[in-house]
Amino acid sequence: MKKSWAIMRRDLIKLSRAPALVVASVVMPVLFLVIFGNSLQGQLKHLPLVIVSQDQGPYGIRVLERIQALAAGPQTITISYRHDPGKALQEVRVGHYKAALVIPPDFSRDIIAGRIGELGLFVDNVDSISTAALKAVVGQATATLRSNYVTAREPKLNEIALRSSNLFVTVDYDRSLIPGVIVMALFMGSMTSGVFNWIMDRFSGVTEAHLVTPLSPWNIASGLLASSVLATTCEAILVLIAGLALTGGGIAGGMRALGMLCGVIVLTGTGLLAMMFAMYSRTSNPRLIGGPASFLNMILFFPSGALYPIESLPPWLHSFTRWNPETHAIRALKSVMFKGADFAAISADVAFLAAFTAIMLLLAAATLKRSL
Amino acid sequence: MHANPAAIQAADLTKRFGKFTAVDHVTFEVGRGELFGLLGPNGAGKTTLIRILTTLLRPTSGQAWVAGHDVIRAPRRVRQEIGVVPQALTSDLELTAWQNLDIYGQFYGLPRAARHARADHLLAMVGLRERAHDMVATYSGGMRRRLEIARGLIHMPRVLFLDEPTLGLDPQARRAVWELLEQLRAESELTISLTTHYMDEAEKLCDRIAIIDGGKIVASGTTQQLKAMVKGSDRIKLEVTGDPTSAITALRGLPYVLEISQDSDGAITIATADGAHATPQMIERLEQAGAKIQAMSIEQISLEDVFLSFTGRHLREESTSRAAPLPDPLFAPAQPRRIT
Repeated sequence: MKKSWAIMRRDLIKLSRAPALVVASVVMPVLFLVIFGNSLQGQLKHLPLVIVSQDQGPYGIRVLERIQALAAGPQTITISYRHDPGKALQEVRVGHYKAALVIPPDFSRDIIAGRIGELGLFVDNVDSISTAALKAVVGQATATLRSNYVTAREPKLNEIALRSSNLFVTVDYDRSLIPGVIVMALFMGSMTSGVFNWIMDRFSGVTEAHLVTPLSPWNIASGLLASSVLATTCEAILVLIAGLALTGGGIAGGMRALGMLCGVIVLTGTGLLAMMFAMYSRTSNPRLIGGPASFLNMILFFPSGALYPIESLPPWLHSFTRWNPETHAIRALKSVMFKGADFAAISADVAFLAAFTAIMLLLAAATLKRSL
Repeated sequence: MHANPAAIQAADLTKRFGKFTAVDHVTFEVGRGELFGLLGPNGAGKTTLIRILTTLLRPTSGQAWVAGHDVIRAPRRVRQEIGVVPQALTSDLELTAWQNLDIYGQFYGLPRAARHARADHLLAMVGLRERAHDMVATYSGGMRRRLEIARGLIHMPRVLFLDEPTLGLDPQARRAVWELLEQLRAESELTISLTTHYMDEAEKLCDRIAIIDGGKIVASGTTQQLKAMVKGSDRIKLEVTGDPTSAITALRGLPYVLEISQDSDGAITIATADGAHATPQMIERLEQAGAKIQAMSIEQISLEDVFLSFTGRHLREESTSRAAPLPDPLFAPAQPRRIT
């Protein structure tokens, strides 16, 4: 134990002499939070729409008014006007606008005459997400076009009312990324400490110098693992604090929740570090870590539910998420952070993480045994 | 515990890496307090031999004892008794010299007070007291090597292994390391095993030297004994007036003359086992033959000549020509497989 502590002490002193590494491990995930969180705010805003209105009749004017109201309210669109439909279409083609809405000259006349009134919506369908949003906006504007007004009164007895209620406080998209960013910090920490230090020591002959002392390989590995768990946990907690500060607000559940968060962070960090040991402890060149580990980071991170609901994934990928430790870590962190969940609510995820960590530690021990 | 009082004993040690035999039936002994040198070119098997003796490698066959403990059966006891200064500089650059020693002291389970006192003493001994709390990254190669020697001594070992301790150092730094080793010899009963491919280093420092080549010890003994093993260990160089051929003819047949040759500059080189006794006889014979001596010098052969004599090759040529194709055990196995 004292010998493992000596290795841990050595590793922590070395880490303290490399503040740039610690700062990068914290700053990079936080930068991801800031940039990604603000890049994908969940709802689309200010999609540029150009309108060519050739109808001065009542329904043409009503379409315009409703679209203007939607532009002023949810701000999903920003409107410009043109007289020439050809020019408007050209501007969509060259990317100035996402879509052109053409209200033809006989639009009102057709509706009044009982015929189907047709509007032309010319979309930049290369961007499918914007196209869907624009179609929804125009569809919303034309849905009740034949009604003169929309009632604000209570529905009648034979009508069905849907009342939606939020069970939890509203979580903005950037704030919802914090658990994912914490797990990202843990993964990055597991790449830059732990097994990386192990390989560097072997590469530079330091391990050999250690092995002619009474240190056992287990002293070395457990010391490195312990220092790395401590370092990555501290980094993840710093990321948590920075994330909360940047997005505003605290943690639902107070100190009890903070304790649970730390527990999940330690468990996840240990599991990821052990996984990296299991994968790389037999590698002799530090250059072999960077590429594959970055790729693994993406494979685990994107289908984890950190950025987008896992329910959107195809069935085969959805199955993978059940075995992805990052999915369980992020779900547990989200439950504790945003829902004030108690331990029972996250026990299944914690059990998975504990089993994953135990298996990875066993695998790491097996590969370590063969590599020494 | 082995009954043999020798500090190091190797008996028929062999180590093979696949078809390549790095150490080939090596047998030798190092007495307590002795400074023993293993001299040989790169790839000769020196480092593999040291790795076996320091418990990093298990031999394919044979036995070895260090400080009385079997390196295969009692490796942990061996590790407790040895200090190792490896060929590569392995001190932590991000730590200070003092921290490096303190942490190594922890590896050996030394109590805090003892390892602090020992670190202070050793840093003073190796001349690094003033820089004790500077990061090792700021040290020169020579300072780092001295620190490594101090690190190898932190637990007061009975046997110190030094693997090419002056490799890559400038002459001044080499001399500092030599002085340090001589000081160690003078102040303690420490047994030192030194591997080197520098002739002058082996000659200056070692009580006894073993010449190792192709994994085998081809000769061993004190420097004088090794030189004496070579036929014609003294070389007498003569310059005579007139035709040197008549002088050569006159010298042939003298009892001490073993070999005689003429150099390209006309000088005559005579190989003899005993230059001191051969010289008066040669002068007398030359005078009788009417040859007038212009210049004369006697020199003893070098270890380089000894190496050449035993292996048929020059050591420096070996270092460059043979190192490349051989599977160097330093890099061949990706990691040490220590005996547990």
